Amino acid sequence: MNIPEQSTTLHVHGESWTHRLHPLNKLAYILLVGVGVYLLPKGWMIACLLIVCNLVLAMMSGVLGPLWKILWRTMLPLLLFMIPIHGLLNPDNVTPVFTYHSISLYAEGLRFAAVVLVRLAAVITASLLFVLCTHPADCITAATQAGCSPSVAYLLGSPLLILPAMRARAGVIQSAQRARGLDSEGHFFKRMKALKPLVAPFVLGALVEIEQRAIALEVRGFNSRTVATSWRVLVDSKGQKGARWAMLLMVVGIIVWRIVG
Amino acid sequence: MMGLSDRLKSGFSTFTLVFIAVAIVINIAVGQLVSLLKLPIFLDSIGTILVGVLAGPWAGAITGLLTNLIWGLISSPVAAAFAPVAMVIGFMAGICARYGLFKTWWLALVAGVVITVFNAVVAVPIRLYMFGGITGSGADFVTSYMLALGRDLFGSVVITVFTSNLLDKVVSALLVWGLIKALPGRTTSRLSRSEATLS
Repeated sequence: MNIPEQSTTLHVHGESWTHRLHPLNKLAYILLVGVGVYLLPKGWMIACLLIVCNLVLAMMSGVLGPLWKILWRTMLPLLLFMIPIHGLLNPDNVTPVFTYHSISLYAEGLRFAAVVLVRLAAVITASLLFVLCTHPADCITAATQAGCSPSVAYLLGSPLLILPAMRARAGVIQSAQRARGLDSEGHFFKRMKALKPLVAPFVLGALVEIEQRAIALEVRGFNSRTVATSWRVLVDSKGQKGARWAMLLMVVGIIVWRIVG
Repeated sequence: MMGLSDRLKSGFSTFTLVFIAVAIVINIAVGQLVSLLKLPIFLDSIGTILVGVLAGPWAGAITGLLTNLIWGLISSPVAAAFAPVAMVIGFMAGICARYGLFKTWWLALVAGVVITVFNAVVAVPIRLYMFGGITGSGADFVTSYMLALGRDLFGSVVITVFTSNLLDKVVSALLVWGLIKALPGRTTSRLSRSEATLS
């Protein structure tokens, strides 16, 4: 599927080792990181290690800048809410570490917040490595090669292609309804009433187009039973396959160990 | 009832597939459209509910799942963590429609409440165990207020998830009901479950 290079996704073009890895390997890695930091004992220590590891990988792949930016954009609101809420109000709080007048920050809550944040940061950095270093078209090719039907490939790919046009249309409807005197400043119920004139033309317009899009697909042989030839070629070596299975086995191992132990 | 993979292999017509793809885009773009009104709702599941009602629970579930996964690709991986929640919203919308809960506006309101309840059943564990109860949004004020009143973390998160979603899901369900009424018969007649909404 031909997705424009300057697409709507976060993908950063590159030729590094991480870029060339098979998408399924990167997904297996995210799974392993998630299972590892949440289920293993001392998961937060593993998480700290993995964050460093992910940042080094990002640097080697030339995506450290965008990764760092998105990481902070995601983590900052979490930090700002997590630390005061758990520090002040966590129900397990008993040991004050810092008191100002009658307000205290407690060790238990702060420790809880730190563990949650470190685990999240490990999973987010791993996911961002995948998102930034994998071309969306490669995900789709990987899904098809793994035996998913062309419908799955279509459902993963086409929203990315339709999105920019729909966003533009949303902008057009906004300005058109505002020009007609839509009340976007009044009190709550007035603004609630304005929902329908905004949403209805947008959704109805999109739905009426479905038939045309469906016909366009069918006349291009979408329902054909022959296997389509892929334009993109995914490199998948024996070593990569082995690594993938090893990671999945570790995931299963950790889960089983956790249930039994 | 057929399983998810069976449905994907044989159950969907090209029309339904395109419907799902368009609904995913509606989910993602509608938030930007209504941001103008500065309302405390996100409306990010209108497309999911629409597919659930018109094309059945499994189609709804797939719409929800893929919306959040694609969201993960274009803005933030946090959205992907909540993909199971979006799945349940679509699935339950389909079940509600099957039992006739999208026939009138007040039944649609009930459907909105039902969806909110099931939304909470899936969202609370994710929010609690993965995020420690806090997701860095305005809803966290509700959590902190409940904690300050002396509730435990679980109770606070349940109340937060329920209250912050109730208005959103009820308004979404009502909008979907209104939209289906306004759709031309030529479009609805192509969808398998549209008779469930005609009173």
